[in-house]
Amino acid sequence: MRIDILKLVSKQVWSSKIKNSGTIWLIMIFNLLLLFALFSGYKNLVNQQETVEHYSHEVRERWEARPDKHPHRMAHYGYVAFRNRFPLSFFDFGMDSYLGNAVFLEAHKQNTVNFSEASLSNGLLRFGEISAGMIIQLLLPLLIFFWGFDLVAREREHGTLRILLTQGVSWQELILGKSLGLFYLALTIFIPSVFLGIILLVFNESTSQNPQGYLRFILLIFGYLAYFFIISTLAIWISAKSKSSKSALTVLISLWLFFTLIFPKVSQVVGQNIFPSPSKIEFDTTIEQELIKQGDSHNPNDPHFKALKDSLLNAYGVDSTHKLPFNYSGYVMREGEKLSAETYQKHQARLVETYQKQQNVVRFTAFLNPYMAVKNLSMALAGTDYAAYNDFQNKAEDFRYKLAQTMNELQMKYISNKVKNSADKKAVISKKNWAEFPDFHHQFLGLSEVLKNELYSIISLIIWTLWMFFLVKYSIKNLKAF
Amino acid sequence: MEALLIKNFLRSKGLMAGLLILFAVGLISLNIGKHFLDKNREIIEKTARYQRESIARNVEFHPKEIGLLLYYVRFGLVNEMPNLSGLSIGQRDINPSLQSVTIRNLEEQKYATDLMNPMYQMLGNMDFSFVLIYFFPLIIIAFCFNLVSEEKEEGTWSLVLSQSENPLKMLRIKISIRFVCVFLVLLALLIIAKIYLEIPFDAAFLAFILTAILYVIFWFALGWLVASFHKNSSQNALVLLLSWVMLTIVVPAGINAITVNLYPVPEAFGTVLESRDGYHNKWDEPKEPTVAKFHKHYPQFGQFKHPEGKDYSWLWYYAMQQMGDDEAINQSRNFKEKLKKRNAFGSTVGMLFPSIHTQLSLNALSLSDMDNYLRYTEKLESFHEKKRLYFYPKIFTEAAVSGENWETFGLEFYKETPNINWAKIVLPVLIISILCISWAKLNFKTNMMRR
Repeated sequence: MRIDILKLVSKQVWSSKIKNSGTIWLIMIFNLLLLFALFSGYKNLVNQQETVEHYSHEVRERWEARPDKHPHRMAHYGYVAFRNRFPLSFFDFGMDSYLGNAVFLEAHKQNTVNFSEASLSNGLLRFGEISAGMIIQLLLPLLIFFWGFDLVAREREHGTLRILLTQGVSWQELILGKSLGLFYLALTIFIPSVFLGIILLVFNESTSQNPQGYLRFILLIFGYLAYFFIISTLAIWISAKSKSSKSALTVLISLWLFFTLIFPKVSQVVGQNIFPSPSKIEFDTTIEQELIKQGDSHNPNDPHFKALKDSLLNAYGVDSTHKLPFNYSGYVMREGEKLSAETYQKHQARLVETYQKQQNVVRFTAFLNPYMAVKNLSMALAGTDYAAYNDFQNKAEDFRYKLAQTMNELQMKYISNKVKNSADKKAVISKKNWAEFPDFHHQFLGLSEVLKNELYSIISLIIWTLWMFFLVKYSIKNLKAF
Repeated sequence: MEALLIKNFLRSKGLMAGLLILFAVGLISLNIGKHFLDKNREIIEKTARYQRESIARNVEFHPKEIGLLLYYVRFGLVNEMPNLSGLSIGQRDINPSLQSVTIRNLEEQKYATDLMNPMYQMLGNMDFSFVLIYFFPLIIIAFCFNLVSEEKEEGTWSLVLSQSENPLKMLRIKISIRFVCVFLVLLALLIIAKIYLEIPFDAAFLAFILTAILYVIFWFALGWLVASFHKNSSQNALVLLLSWVMLTIVVPAGINAITVNLYPVPEAFGTVLESRDGYHNKWDEPKEPTVAKFHKHYPQFGQFKHPEGKDYSWLWYYAMQQMGDDEAINQSRNFKEKLKKRNAFGSTVGMLFPSIHTQLSLNALSLSDMDNYLRYTEKLESFHEKKRLYFYPKIFTEAAVSGENWETFGLEFYKETPNINWAKIVLPVLIISILCISWAKLNFKTNMMRR
């Protein structure tokens, strides 16, 4: 394979296309679309970040402004955690719009994360969203197929292919060279958006707190470059394989439909059916029934908590809970919270595992479908995938648990066993304690974690790239020059 | 001539295979819809059972205080799903079709979501409306892109012009044959759907069928228009595919992006904070003002007073809960208004684009749209209010738990019949189709004799 020939062939593709005013128009339209997508995505991100910041601040202020009171009341007053977006999320919305944004954290109870964008939307969202990621993953391949379908087939139809081959250009050089030509054309659309992406990334204040955003963006660029190479080579290879340019176009468009519409939807339905997941009502009921079996911390005669009480009295050598050196009901609630949180987490982990199994069915199709590979990788790097969300959910639950237990411990420490109930004047502790409890801050997943989650996507992009080289090198035997 | 044209059309293997694939994909989509309906039915049945069991258990655990009992007891309201929504799932896989609430403050409860794999929601359902909106046009494009141009490219157009008196008539027959084939597939799918999903044959279904047919007509009209320019096959294919990409992907997504930017909904977070403070802060405040506010809201309960000097009473407790709703009411109302504005904007702009208009109409007819959910939420509010008004006097008078027949509190159902605005459903797509056909007529007049 000779580099100069490759250059020559790719340059010929480039100049023949760029001469055409239609091509220039398409490039311009795509760039405008990307411009719109990047700016509206960015505006949306900044809006969201400001809203989250505003309300998080407000939550904190209100929390610290609460007067002296009984700590358990504070545990019920609770906290509200808002999901923040990763600075790169403007580039690829991923499943962001389907993920909840606000969760109320209180003692004894795990609430759902509510107010996803989808729940605030009419049916329009289901057509998909216009993000740079979507344009590049979904629409650009269609354009590449359009540009590439006749690049070999038409030369054959016009008889120029034979001339090229007799002049000493090998099939490999021809296919790879033409693929590179297409690849360069794709870059006219990709590169401007990369520059704009970097500018917007630098502009966003939150990037400085998450410098891994830059690294993620660089990896994202590599992922997309591999994707364009795969798509370009595929287009040229099909064009070379097909009898006519018309049939090449049909095959390529069918492939596009399969990759982007049919495969993802069907695999998703298959995943759902192989690994059924519970509805909310089932989930809650299972947990509730398990908790009932364990015992009710609010019920003084409950056998589990009665045994606990007896062993405590024994250990401290006293005959009544009033004589214990700490607040007994705080202790009981601490135990209750521990049990119920453990039970919840066990079921939540099982649920997440089911979701991941369902998603893995879709993920595996990446080996058959480069679109899925790049989509998953891009989403993960942009911080808009399920793993990022699940991490938020876990951190919020950890925070909730810590809040409830801190309040229980404050109760054990400061509240006398003799107070009647939480309204008692002696049953309050200073509001300083509220300020001492740290605010909720969610750190985004580390890069290594993200890459680990997307191992399948990365491997399948690599395999696809190698596979394309393999096709170029070995499957040219039965290609026809005329 | 007709017979020959039909024969010629039926002989092309690619096109027949396309129709067959379309039919098969349609069948899969019906199965997905059926599955969705079954799952929903199962959830309702299970919830009805859980509710019964849970009420019985709570009555057993808290037999003395009705105020305490009602802290726990949940009442479910189902947003009834017509079988038609198996064909157009819409927002039904995002918004829950069943909510169970206690009589405590509603704001903390009503936004609770169901558990769903977000990957599933992102990739979306392949329901019948998806097949109709995305796949039918593709087949129609494949059928129409070379209506005239194939004759030209194969050199038969001159023959047609010289031998037939009315070449337009031949083209009409050609496109009619194609239309009938696609129409038959659509009809077959709808008939199977009717039987398989047990859809009642009512006005909504009729409007649904009409909407689907109109959408197919629109694409044929567009194909006809493109053919009338007498361009070559690849140009036609390009224009039609571009229209498809624009109508089914780019424009809806663009309008959605504009909607989100025009109407952001920060109120969503505001309601959470207001209702939380509205309720919880009352714990630290004197009881009298809370009770007074409650009396102002419900003068009919003025006779019930908080016992002086007492630390706690159920009247005070439920008054606090009530404040959670009352103090969030402005935010909550603004929030709903915003959602309605979003909807109105989407559906108004959508009228210009048959794909959007069709999807939104199908969702509305299947009661799987946002409007239905908003109405259901309003119904949930009044359902909740009714339960409150029923139980408040019992709680305040400390009525005996055993005095109530708890078994009568089963699931309740909100059933809606879609309000069909025929003109709004039919006219937009019809007008656009007629425009296409008229324009094509003009073009054919001037272009027909070109070789």
